[in-house]
Amino acid sequence: MGKRSSTKVSVPEATGDKYSVLLPTYNERQNLPVIVWLLVKTFTEHKIDYEIIIVDDNSPDGTLEIAKQLQKLYGENRIVLRPRAGKLGLGTAYGYGAQEATGNFVIILDADMSHHPKFIPEYIRLQKKYNYDVVTGTRYAGNGGVYGWDLRRKLISRGANYLATVALSPGVTDLTGSFRLYKKHAFEKLIAATKSKGYVFQMEIIVRARQLGLTIGEVPITFVDRVFGESKLGGDEIVNYMKGIWMLFWDT
Amino acid sequence: MSKATRTIASTLLFATVWLVLLFHASVLPQDIPIPAWVDEITPVVPLWLLVAFGAYSLGNLGWALFTFRDCDDAHTSLIQEISQAKSDLRKRGVSID
Repeated sequence: MGKRSSTKVSVPEATGDKYSVLLPTYNERQNLPVIVWLLVKTFTEHKIDYEIIIVDDNSPDGTLEIAKQLQKLYGENRIVLRPRAGKLGLGTAYGYGAQEATGNFVIILDADMSHHPKFIPEYIRLQKKYNYDVVTGTRYAGNGGVYGWDLRRKLISRGANYLATVALSPGVTDLTGSFRLYKKHAFEKLIAATKSKGYVFQMEIIVRARQLGLTIGEVPITFVDRVFGESKLGGDEIVNYMKGIWMLFWDT
Repeated sequence: MSKATRTIASTLLFATVWLVLLFHASVLPQDIPIPAWVDEITPVVPLWLLVAFGAYSLGNLGWALFTFRDCDDAHTSLIQEISQAKSDLRKRGVSID
């Protein structure tokens, strides 16, 4: 841990904090370079010490090749590659990536640019102010919002969130979000405690965090869904979602 | 204790209190004074709770939809940043299609 200067406002770099971004990828050849560029831009502008850990599940579209080029460009200490042999799922990808993380904080976000790195400094600021164990983004409160959703999609989203809130009383306004900042040891504890997959996994993490008595803060974020193309939500996903809530209701 | 356990416990507690009030004539000793309005209100409390919950839910959902922010400007600036990123990376040797 570095020493704080006593004569000027301390810059995060000076306090010795390092933020490890975990980026699981599958077929993100188009999006990966852009999200990495945005992350590097944000961290560099705000003088934040970082690393980006890319966990690619053997994408057939050559995502790993692009990742290697990015590594050559930005350096092996900034871009860390942890490829896996196959599509093994999100929860294990996070755990696998976290093992290599040398930071004391972990950031997770989607690689498809629905989450914008420009909010990260706000996450960090809020975390520092209240010493939160977890900071999560919300699309529903404050200045949060969504682009690209029609009324039907919004209704499903808010309805689903309301259902989950009534059933689980999670204490956050947006339960299925996956743009989050964690203290590293809290993240490791939570990953070990969770059992589900997909976005139910994201819900479970928050519910278990409450269970473990961890403190959670929220940052309003803008969510740009499917920059290219239309957002679809099928009946299957809705059924899985309900099953997920039921499981959490009984298990937490 | 899981959420389910807590919910079941609260529900049982409420149900017990409600049943006692409903049948207070046979269940409670005669000298405890229960006002007449309790007899009128108790039978309909569950239905009232259900309707109130339904109304609250609808109101909540309606309000949520009404205040759901659209962020078109976020999309616009993101599109710009994407092309900026791509051209910068192309210049620096990353194969962007």
